[in-house]
Amino acid sequence: MNAFNRAWRYITRKPTKSILLIITFFLIGNLVILGLGISQAADNAKVLTRKQMRAVVSYEIDYDAYWKYINTLTDQDEIDAAYSKSIRIDKDVALKLTEDERVKAFNYMVNSIAYSDGFENVPLGNESNRQNSTYINENGEEVTYKEPNLMIYANMYDNMIELEEGTFEVVEGRFYTQSDIDNANKVVVITKELADQNALRVGDTIRVSTAGDYLINQLKTEGLDTNIAYMDLEICGIYTTLEDVDPNAENFQWMSPYESPKNIILMPMTSYIEYIEQITRVQYDIMMKENPGAETSLDDWLQNLEQPSKVVYLLSDPLEVDSFVEDHQNDVSEFTRLNANNETFKKLARPLDTMSFFANIVVWIVIINAIVIISLVTALTLKTREYEIGVLLSIGVSKIKVILQLFVELILIALLGFTLAVVSGSLMASKVGDMVLDYQTTSDAQYGESEENYYYTFGADYFTQVTQDDLLREYHVSVSPLLIGEIYILGTGVVLIAILIPSIMIMRLNPKQILLEQN
Amino acid sequence: MSAILTLDNINYGYIDGGYRREILKDLSYQFKEGTFYTILGPSGSGKTTLLSIMAGLDKQESGNIYYDGENIETKGLYDYRRNKVGVVFQSYNLINYLTGLENILLAMTETDNKLPKNHKEVAYALLNLVGIVESKADRIVTRLSGGEQQRIAIARAIASNVDLIFADEPTGNLDTATEQEIIKLFQMLAEKYGKTIIVVTHSNEVSQLSDRRILLRNGILMISHK
Repeated sequence: MNAFNRAWRYITRKPTKSILLIITFFLIGNLVILGLGISQAADNAKVLTRKQMRAVVSYEIDYDAYWKYINTLTDQDEIDAAYSKSIRIDKDVALKLTEDERVKAFNYMVNSIAYSDGFENVPLGNESNRQNSTYINENGEEVTYKEPNLMIYANMYDNMIELEEGTFEVVEGRFYTQSDIDNANKVVVITKELADQNALRVGDTIRVSTAGDYLINQLKTEGLDTNIAYMDLEICGIYTTLEDVDPNAENFQWMSPYESPKNIILMPMTSYIEYIEQITRVQYDIMMKENPGAETSLDDWLQNLEQPSKVVYLLSDPLEVDSFVEDHQNDVSEFTRLNANNETFKKLARPLDTMSFFANIVVWIVIINAIVIISLVTALTLKTREYEIGVLLSIGVSKIKVILQLFVELILIALLGFTLAVVSGSLMASKVGDMVLDYQTTSDAQYGESEENYYYTFGADYFTQVTQDDLLREYHVSVSPLLIGEIYILGTGVVLIAILIPSIMIMRLNPKQILLEQN
Repeated sequence: MSAILTLDNINYGYIDGGYRREILKDLSYQFKEGTFYTILGPSGSGKTTLLSIMAGLDKQESGNIYYDGENIETKGLYDYRRNKVGVVFQSYNLINYLTGLENILLAMTETDNKLPKNHKEVAYALLNLVGIVESKADRIVTRLSGGEQQRIAIARAIASNVDLIFADEPTGNLDTATEQEIIKLFQMLAEKYGKTIIVVTHSNEVSQLSDRRILLRNGILMISHK
């Protein structure tokens, strides 16, 4: 007849008190399930949405911080100095971040629009709708100009986020190697569509230029060799891309061919920089010839050529994005930042966060009340059980065993109450959760700030666009095994705390006094 | 017969209304095994206090109690209550949501003393010994008469295979016929099974049936004779 047996017999043979406590635990359990269910569903929705998003962090210039800083300045010299200050992505920092084991791939890349020479771009499909590429010059004449039709992605490293993710896949030949980068080899990887369009194969050479008609004409005028404006690139690989333009997009009819992912060509950044430096030097010379007194130097012209607008890191797990930013936020220099596009995500998740916050408060209030109520009920019933405790103590049952019996009784009752609550809670949780969320999102829509709930990106879009609907679609209140586990753990915790006061009361009991009073 | 329980200069008192009240004064005595004792005395003489101290339910202020030559505080009073003594009270003190059998099993489970493995059979046998048949043994104790409950309390007191049984007014709530049966039970336990029975009582009838009568007056053992 150990503590467990006695506890079971007490519960079954003193049903009134047991039923009252079961009802108490049942009600508490329902409220806790609702609260935790709502809170957990909100967290799950955020996690699931996060998982659907690219695990991308960009190291970029923080223009907001820069302009805010300038606005705080009052001294003109300081303002001038701030304007002339070159804000740059720190290459060393960018490289240091790649050493983090969470980084799977990264793009340290410059992009440039370009012109094909001797081959055609992949048509977008909007050519018949588009107007001619013309502009009106200073003499009022309509001038036709050559439109850029390619996009160069020049990366500093032989791995790209797109390749790692499978957006790009090399189907013929190879991707350029670190050796190509180190030696500034004139190699290029083009899309299969571009290759097919022009019957190009690996080993062929294409001619590409970033210079428009204006620069070519300038070179001709100056009597310079126009060949310096062109790169002859050997095709080392052909790749396919999963990306394409959306013909239903609003701006589709105005799109230029270079905006098509099929017209992106990939090359080593070193080769590109070597080429662009050459052009820049010529442009500088022409400018200095035309403006001999210009207060600028060649170094000024060259210093930003290698400077990407941002470095993008692909992490192995979308859920590690926040911790990555937090861990490295202090590594980046002034006016630069690590951006995980969290602010927008947080705005989207605001209704869920608010709901989760209040649900958690409710849970804590219920838990605290539960502890107080069960403590009091147990303490009060203890008074009626002093006699029994006195008897147990008189026959040598230790006080610890008496407390253990009390604990087992409460745990068994809690188990039953919470099990019933799990059944009823699972029926209610989903409906109540949807009602609360419905109210919450309606309230936000009515009274919230009128902000667009979209991610916007600059340049190549590495951040996944997510809407609030996407987030809410993942919101499902359900009683999961994890939640059930939490309920039972919480219940055990409540019982453990609730038993404290009665335990103190038991420890103070004296068997002689109890039994003498009874006798 | 050797001494099973020895009281050595036991003192006990308390402060009441600003004055100290001495309950037990330099009390010494040796209880022999296999003997049925009764402790008599007027109300307030300290009978129940003495019994509580001897049963390990309370502690004396000074002096020592030895069980079989060993100070009962050496292993602690819980151990003493669990393994050395059984106590029977006037109001039976059974666990009221358990059956008679379960009350016996409770004591058998708690003790560290060696008992036969088949607890249930032994418990039924003990209950049978005190006159409780199996059908009554399986009833919740509150559904039994006072006499039956007291028999169960006695059975529980000996269930843990102890040699020393204390009883505080065990027949106080019982009619005369039942009182006689309970006393016979104590006599049998002392004579046949060698148990030492120490009963606190007001009843001269009960005390006359005991082997030794002890009179307690003003905290002092006045008379001890057969």
